[in-house]
Amino acid sequence: MNDDLREKFIAIVGTKNARVNQEDIAPYLREWRDRWEGKSELVLLPANTQEVSQILALATETKTPIVPQGGHTGLVGGGMPDMSGDAVILAMGRMNKVRDIDTAGNTITVEAGCILQSVQEAADDVGRLFPLSLAAEGSCQIGGNLSSNAGGTGALSYGVARDLVLGLEVVLPTGEILNDLNALKKDNTGYNLRHLFIGAEGTLGIITAAVVKLFPKPKGQITAFLGLETPAAALELFQAARDFAGQSLTAFELMPRLGVEFTTKHVDGVRDPLTTPYPWYVLLEVSSGESEDHAQSLLEHLLENQMEAGSVLDGAVASSVSQSKDFWHLRESMSESQKPEGGSIKHDISVPVHAIPSFMLDAEKAVLDIEPSARICAFGHLGDGNLHYNISQPVGADKQEFLAMDRVITPAVHGLVLKYNGSISAEHGIGVMKRDEMAKIKDPTALDLMRRIKKNFDPAGIMNPQKVL
Amino acid sequence: MKVLVPVKRVVDYNVKIRVKSDDSGVELANVKMSMNPFDEISVEQAIRMKEAGQVEEIVVVSVGPQQSQETLRTALAMGADRAILVKHDDVVEPLAVAKILKGVVEEENPGLVILGKQAIDDDSNQTGQMLAALLGWSQGTFASEIEISGDTAKVKREVDGGLQNIEIKMPAIITTDLRLNEPRYASLPNIMKAKKKPLDEKSVGDYGVDTAPRLTVVKTEEPEGRKAGVIVGSVEELVSKLKNEAGVL
Ligand SMILES: Cc1cc2nc3c(=O)[nH]c(=O)nc-3n(C[C@H](O)[C@H](O)[C@H](O)COP(=O)(O)OP(=O)(O)OC[C@H]3O[C@@H](n4cnc5c(N)ncnc54)[C@H](O)[C@@H]3O)c2cc1C
Repeated sequence: MNDDLREKFIAIVGTKNARVNQEDIAPYLREWRDRWEGKSELVLLPANTQEVSQILALATETKTPIVPQGGHTGLVGGGMPDMSGDAVILAMGRMNKVRDIDTAGNTITVEAGCILQSVQEAADDVGRLFPLSLAAEGSCQIGGNLSSNAGGTGALSYGVARDLVLGLEVVLPTGEILNDLNALKKDNTGYNLRHLFIGAEGTLGIITAAVVKLFPKPKGQITAFLGLETPAAALELFQAARDFAGQSLTAFELMPRLGVEFTTKHVDGVRDPLTTPYPWYVLLEVSSGESEDHAQSLLEHLLENQMEAGSVLDGAVASSVSQSKDFWHLRESMSESQKPEGGSIKHDISVPVHAIPSFMLDAEKAVLDIEPSARICAFGHLGDGNLHYNISQPVGADKQEFLAMDRVITPAVHGLVLKYNGSISAEHGIGVMKRDEMAKIKDPTALDLMRRIKKNFDPAGIMNPQKVL
Repeated sequence: MKVLVPVKRVVDYNVKIRVKSDDSGVELANVKMSMNPFDEISVEQAIRMKEAGQVEEIVVVSVGPQQSQETLRTALAMGADRAILVKHDDVVEPLAVAKILKGVVEEENPGLVILGKQAIDDDSNQTGQMLAALLGWSQGTFASEIEISGDTAKVKREVDGGLQNIEIKMPAIITTDLRLNEPRYASLPNIMKAKKKPLDEKSVGDYGVDTAPRLTVVKTEEPEGRKAGVIVGSVEELVSKLKNEAGVL
């Protein structure tokens, strides 16, 4: 980029809000899993929608690639610029105001750079719940959550990010501002454009603000950590729990013994909630709109029945919020607990819920046929049919050599996913990681339509180039 | 030996406390309540002593409203053997609680009473000491280690300057501090078993204690919130602010 253009970009946000030195830029190029490298010579931190609009207009005029970044916790390389160094990183963190809270309509209007946790807290302050919740919530931003259509642990009863949005404000690549900050539940006036930007991973425009839904806070909530024999038992328990508790079943997370071993070994403050080991575990949460007692009695009835039926072998029930936090901490640190165990080949897949047990049997066989000492750590949102099908290297193996095996392991796992009519990217998106693979397996008409939409919205091709498509 | 462990139902440690709109106290309606964390530690201690063969029976007792039953059930699910609920709906101050507990001790004849050093709702830190005085028993407060042998107890106490080791004569009152142990989770089979364990209901009248409060709460206020920070432009500005505005230099 020539100096003249750089100065023009910097002038929009002011020198204080531009990063030009490599040491200041470095944090924006560091990525959660150290999987991708990228270069950039300019990071811009806009303060408002107008500045974003001016930046994008200038970018389109000069064909400068723009890479949006929220909390940069995305797991598919969507927030990384390429190695050319041409791209400008647009970091949204300064746009972090709560614009409005409407307790009658149960909505909150937030700017894209609001940290997810601060949105949850703003809702909590007015006695409401914002149910989007994931392990990265202390750093990811609502703009990033919507752009990647995040799922997380609340998806079971409240839906994924997409289901929580009523309206959006978006800056298009040309600099035009789409004001669709709609707070209406019912609005059938023409095409629903917001859904194009949700899950677009920054390829169609910049989300600058959103109106999202709030919910009544549960009056009672109770968490249990259960020991089970097999994923099939977990599926049986899930169905029984949903039949019994309905909407009150607010979380159902499956974890393997290996994951509990990893977390208790590597993560501070984690201990095994049960006194004897079990092959599989489920973290189950029941919420009640009525009372603490109601939640408790739902849970206890359910679990008593399931222990008698044999699907549940043992369990611990949290008797305080601290204990419930302990259980969640174990679940949420399962990702990071894999790092000290060496290389891990990761898959973020979904299959129809009923197919989870047979998928897992097939996948285990396929993986162990390739590498008999691989250690499978498959965990996740069983109730959504979504598993993080991760495979840690054999103990003592060479990390790089093992990671290189993803060339055979991933096709084997994804092949089974497709056989079961599943998805190779359930939550995390496509980014650069799965772009080529998606191109091979997606319905050709759908792909073509996506390309036409992209071309139409972004004629200069500046928005997060090379991502998704 | 029999051990008595008093437990209190309090606002959960993680709940954000809100003051009632008329400043008369803390909002308790629809608020998550749990066992006082120090009491969980006391229950755990008693269970460990039972597992080590030093204790035959653990009796838990709570003075409070009907819902305190839940707290007692939690203690039973952790491993206590029997529970007593001394039902009382209004506020009971530490001295009244100590007098009620004295009555329970006289009925039950435990060799040891383990209490939390304080309850996290009123932070009084008085009941254990008052009970020791009323009974004329020895006391080891703020325990982070307990070792019983014969008719003496060695207690490591967490005091301001560090740790203090004392030896006291049994029967005794011990109050627990945070580092003593990490309480176990209640397991599902034990929760089910706990439903069948005996839970007796008593009233304050059974112990002839006058619970009329001796203190009057004038007003309940929230602590002053933290003021927003400012980013200073230079070291000079910082020094000047510390001198002229904060008055600390
Ligand atoms: C520990 C951990 C746990 C996770 N758990 C889950 C989980 O349970 N469920 C789940 O779905 N995901 C999970 N994720 C991944 C998840 O996608 C992200 O954590 C989060 O949703 C992304 O938010 P972010 O602000 O960090 O976005 P970023 O990583 O910064 O960006 C994500 C994508 O959106 C684009 N983007 C960002 N902001 C904007 C904007 N304002 N406008 C347009 N485009 C934008 C970026 O260019 C990028 O392509 C997890 C990640 C981590 C590290």
